[in-house]
Amino acid sequence: MKLATIGVGNAGSKIVDRMVEFESETNRNLCRHVHAINTARTDLAKPEYIPEEQRVLVGDTNQKSKGHGVGGDVEVGAEVMSADIDEIRRAFDDIEIHNVDAILVAAGLGGGTGSGGGPVVIDALQDMYDEPVYALGVLPGEYEGGRPALNGARSLQSFVNKVDNFIAFDNDAWRAREQTIEEGYEEMNRELASRIVTLLAAGETDETDVAENAMDSSDIIRTLAAEGVSSMGYAATAVDTQPEGLLDRWGGGTDDDSLDDASQATKIKSLVRRATNSRLTLPCGVSTAERVLVVLSGPPGEFSRKGIESARQWLEDETDTVEVLVGDDPREGSSRLAAAVLLSNVSGAQRIETLQNQAVDAQEQIAEQEAAREAKIENLITDENDDIDPVV
Amino acid sequence: MRLALIGVGGAGGRVVDAIRAVEAPECRQLCDGNVLTVDISRTGSDEHDHVPRERQVTVGDTRRGVEDGAAGDQDLAVDVVRADAPEIRRALDSITMRDLNGVLVVAGLGGGTGGGAGAVLVERLQQLYDDPVYVLGVLPAADEGGHAALNAARSLRSVVPAADSTLLFDNDLWVGPDADTDERYARANRELAARTVALFARSDPGPRSIGANTIDSSDIVRTLSPGGVASVGRATTELDTGGGLLSLLRSLLPGSHGGDDSDERTDAGKIQRLVGRATNSRLTLPCEVSSVERALVVLSGPPDELSRRGFESARRWLEDETDTVEVLAGDDPRPGSSTVAATVLLSNVTAVPRIDSMQRQAVDHERTDETLRAVDEPD
Repeated sequence: MKLATIGVGNAGSKIVDRMVEFESETNRNLCRHVHAINTARTDLAKPEYIPEEQRVLVGDTNQKSKGHGVGGDVEVGAEVMSADIDEIRRAFDDIEIHNVDAILVAAGLGGGTGSGGGPVVIDALQDMYDEPVYALGVLPGEYEGGRPALNGARSLQSFVNKVDNFIAFDNDAWRAREQTIEEGYEEMNRELASRIVTLLAAGETDETDVAENAMDSSDIIRTLAAEGVSSMGYAATAVDTQPEGLLDRWGGGTDDDSLDDASQATKIKSLVRRATNSRLTLPCGVSTAERVLVVLSGPPGEFSRKGIESARQWLEDETDTVEVLVGDDPREGSSRLAAAVLLSNVSGAQRIETLQNQAVDAQEQIAEQEAAREAKIENLITDENDDIDPVV
Repeated sequence: MRLALIGVGGAGGRVVDAIRAVEAPECRQLCDGNVLTVDISRTGSDEHDHVPRERQVTVGDTRRGVEDGAAGDQDLAVDVVRADAPEIRRALDSITMRDLNGVLVVAGLGGGTGGGAGAVLVERLQQLYDDPVYVLGVLPAADEGGHAALNAARSLRSVVPAADSTLLFDNDLWVGPDADTDERYARANRELAARTVALFARSDPGPRSIGANTIDSSDIVRTLSPGGVASVGRATTELDTGGGLLSLLRSLLPGSHGGDDSDERTDAGKIQRLVGRATNSRLTLPCEVSSVERALVVLSGPPDELSRRGFESARRWLEDETDTVEVLAGDDPRPGSSTVAATVLLSNVTAVPRIDSMQRQAVDHERTDETLRAVDEPD
């Protein structure tokens, strides 16, 4: 698949940056077009792989932002982005749309720019192009507090309504324990990037390796067309190193073929099972998935047709849907065999429920405080019997 | 964040001077040279080391009643700045608001000029600029007397509704009791200056010093936007050289992180304790933390020392303690720094015992004053 990838806000831009890093490290070619859009000049200086000219600063002439972000305020984020929508449309004019199959917008939903501005960007893209628009959205962790939860719960509704598929990443499920602030985000973004790139880059490697279960972008689009919220799983295993492989081949040891095939089939099936039961980007009930996409990537010699078939069978039983697509992405010379699983249109995600509850509480508390604000300030600056007059 | 700095009255001017003195060596620009002091005086003076002479405006020099300044007379100060408004207006033209995020008016609220002229100036600046106008106000210590308390109590009633937010500094807490007068105030001013710079002025970041969650001026503006009174807390901890060296070695060895659980746990605990210290015992204006409407916390220090878990639990602790969901948290990596610092901004604090006691002192003073006058002028 060929993507135009757009990061909105600080978290979104960093994810896109890591996606480009991962694809360049693994020789993939998924993101044909990248953009980072932000309201904070400082944060736009951070990406390492997004070219300077592909970074768009919005709201720098806006009185509330002036190029310094939106203060984690989802409303200001939406307002600033709407005000500069012409500039964004001009930037999107550069997308060579005949060269991309879909558009992916990455954003964090807890802040202001991604959560408020993201849906505005998606509206513009849906308007301009017929290609599907997907979102990769990061749900704020519970520990991030009430305001991000409120931003996230509100933003989630807009995102899900506007995109063709919303791929969720739950910060809570992915929080590592012993790290510095910087490392924590880096690691989560890398995990997320490797999953999404492995999944969506299938079928776009190069012309020499023709995949046996060739998958093209329309297959991926079909799985994602289920709409709703999706979750990803991933598992990888090391494969025999190159020298041994060569020896085997030169040795011409064909006697073990059937045994090899059986063990390879088991290997594929258990890998897919491991990926499905792995820590999902959004923990959810696997059986609730409406459609499933699996991409196996690794040395083509590892792809056992029997294994793929039994993995598919297993997934059909597990998810109770016949819409299971398993494709392979041959990567000659790779030392890893990886399975990436996309569970499309899942339900029963506990985290979304707790996020919404947290948001409702936050909203009530904020409203209470706002209502009492003026009276409390007045009370503070006035003495008990109102004997003291203001100076002016 | 860039703010125009306007010091009003003697105390206000001295704090502005102290802020300028902190700005320069730390390379953290708060005002970019957009500075002004306004005072009422018969003799124009040049008493500030870090404010250029042409940025020190003196008004009221031809006015009857102005001897050595307004001498604590707020109403006189109000009249004087109103009459000399054009002169102040001209001086304000030297400030380039285009590149700034707002204005910070610094004043001692117990003084005649600071508390009276300051209130007028805040009103005028609000009419003049679209950007927020903040006040950094110094409350008089109880031993500065009833008149100072009355001035401050009256001034608060005008300044707080007029300003976008009023950050207060309580001299009662910060001015030591025994040292010689000049030095004890100078020390308090330096403390206030250091906090102001730490809160508002980020150093211009190189790529290595951009935090994962950089606090930008919009975050501060949003935190302060409920208005009312704000208080700033700050605590620092020196990194012992052993730990610093260890973490330096650790940072040089890729992939060696996370092996030492106990060390990391200590880091997390250290950061939470630091934020607790900043919030509870080192506020510019002691207040009931649970009365806060919005809060912001910034952690600065070497990136290797900023534990993610510590950061998260400190933020969460602050949310519980302040009983508000509006808590923004940011990191401010300072590669090579030998300290970790937590700066906490508590916005719209509404339970402040010190303001209550000051108001009582003011009311008592007013009553005594009236009684004395009644004795002086029997009808």
